[in-house]
Amino acid sequence: MAGPAPLAGRRILDLGAFCAQRPHALAASMCARLCAGYGAKVVRPVPATGEPFARDEPLLRDGTSALDRFLNAGKQAGTATGRFDAAIGDRGALGEHAATAPVKVRISVFGPDEPDPPMTELGLAALAGLLGIVGEPMPAPPSRLAGHQVAYSAGVAACTALLAALRAGGEETADVSLLDVTAWLNWKVAAGVIVTGRAPTREAERVAWFTLPAKDGHMALVHQDKDWPNFRAVIGDPRLESDPRLATHPLRTANRAALLEVIGPWFAAHTRAEITAAMQARRVPLGPVTWPTELLEDAQYRARDFLGADGMPALPVGWDGQRLTLEAAHAG
Amino acid sequence: MPGDLPLAGVRVVDLGWITAGAASSTLLLDMGADVVKVEGPGAPDSFRNWDGAEPGTDWWNRSPFFNFTNRGKRALCIDLKDPRGREAVLRLLDGADVLVENFRRGVMASFGLAPAMLRERFPRLVIASISSQGETGPDRDMVSFGSTLEATAGLAALTGAGEAPVITGRDVNYPDQVVCLFAAGAIIAALLERDRTGQGAHLDLSQRELTSFLLGEEIIAAAAGAPSPRRGNRDPAEPGERLERNGEAWRVTFPGGSAPVRDGVALAAAADFLRGTAVLRSPDGTPAKGIPFRFTHRALSVTDVCHPLGADNRAVMAEAGYTEQEIAALEAAGVLATVPRGG
Repeated sequence: MAGPAPLAGRRILDLGAFCAQRPHALAASMCARLCAGYGAKVVRPVPATGEPFARDEPLLRDGTSALDRFLNAGKQAGTATGRFDAAIGDRGALGEHAATAPVKVRISVFGPDEPDPPMTELGLAALAGLLGIVGEPMPAPPSRLAGHQVAYSAGVAACTALLAALRAGGEETADVSLLDVTAWLNWKVAAGVIVTGRAPTREAERVAWFTLPAKDGHMALVHQDKDWPNFRAVIGDPRLESDPRLATHPLRTANRAALLEVIGPWFAAHTRAEITAAMQARRVPLGPVTWPTELLEDAQYRARDFLGADGMPALPVGWDGQRLTLEAAHAG
Repeated sequence: MPGDLPLAGVRVVDLGWITAGAASSTLLLDMGADVVKVEGPGAPDSFRNWDGAEPGTDWWNRSPFFNFTNRGKRALCIDLKDPRGREAVLRLLDGADVLVENFRRGVMASFGLAPAMLRERFPRLVIASISSQGETGPDRDMVSFGSTLEATAGLAALTGAGEAPVITGRDVNYPDQVVCLFAAGAIIAALLERDRTGQGAHLDLSQRELTSFLLGEEIIAAAAGAPSPRRGNRDPAEPGERLERNGEAWRVTFPGGSAPVRDGVALAAAADFLRGTAVLRSPDGTPAKGIPFRFTHRALSVTDVCHPLGADNRAVMAEAGYTEQEIAALEAAGVLATVPRGG
């Protein structure tokens, strides 16, 4: 008995390989990847120059690309001819290869009626304020989120738009602006000025959450003022109660050096697992900084059958307790 | 019908809080669904608490971020801990297509609304449970904020321009944001599946899993014995890209263009942002959470303001089959309310 497959019988044309720019290509490819996860037959034609992600990092030992393997899993090689229920690409690719698909999902930098200038994911994060708000306090440089979060988020939004358009029926073109999606994610910064008259920035007084070294890696120090008594109780150092520089959440944030002077040695003396267990026992929301290699052995992911033996993640939704199965195909 | 929004006629009961649940429902609303936000008088959405709240006012109706996120939803304030409140929600669900919730695991069951029971009782209902870790597994009860999940999902280890891994912090909490885009899609997928099979579904959405999924290539590389290092701001596929500092300002340059690293003030004033859809306006002019895409044939827009707590109690209860007298009795008993307890 087959499991759930909401897009069973639907044919989706993935024009990611024909997008003129890389962020668009990544977003379109992610959108189509999710469609494959939902059971669509996804066809990914490639230009004469071949699969654009075939040599992109991260590279495996045989020189093939993990990016290609991930994004094109469950897709089929093929041509843009024939009937498709929906097509995904940039303006040029859709115009050239998908004139007849009733549903089109069009990725752009700024939106449907704007020019599509040269752009990168880092450039988009910069424009959307997402780059500027992430990182150690100023004057340290800002930090990009690892991987392809800007393009992938747009791909996720594009898939949601595509699913909605399919459900509505008839002809539709959904426009997904990479900038709009990134600014939408970053709404506290985007709306902060408009809503409250203040925009959060990466000032030392504001960056309350950060990572710090433990015995075997780093911990993410994430907590609210209400968690402080429990946090203090776990560490058990009287200075956390007596030092006036640590009396309030804003003071502890502004006086990070004084805080680290007290808690740093304790963290350095304990493993991530010990710290996580002690903090979680008191419902303090700290967590271990975990490397992808470690995720392969993660008890939670194992219990939920989330990662394949080759590291391939399942579509991140349990469906009446089942995982949706991806066809074994791979484009290219 | 042509021109109808994609989710016209879909009825959503929204037990979503803060962002992950509440903004997923908002996205469904923007695509045409009718959304009833359900809060308890003893447990309103904690986004209603805000720094500028003034005692003696209806501060709970004035929270800028709450109103920003929940504009346009109908507002039901009912005590789920009271059996009469539970019964009312069950009657509401009888006519609903979708339930969205992101309570701590176990809270729905404590209300007598365990998803497994709801799934059985309402076989066409799509139940979306959004949580940190998922419904099952040894870590299901782990407490976290979005940034905790960035750490535990593998994102923080690979993020950071300096020596230490970096989390986004309370102003972003990336997993809380991106899950809304995915959850809304999964819910629509489940409605499509229901169209095919007649069956609803219980969707178990783990924000941690989504965050790892969005690093899929890195996990595959790690499994093949070729894990990536932390690359800081460098993208190996964009060798011509630079992040440069000029005094206080930073700028990204790349072949063919450049982009300023904006703060909120610069973003809010930027023409490209103002022409976009990330932040929109409610009909009363107040800022409203935007819509992350547009349709050519079906215009998406923010059509309604944020309703005060419990403003739609009577209408929603009447639709669920309650008589005037029954509604009045529930009001008198404090099961229905328009003011938070202690407010």
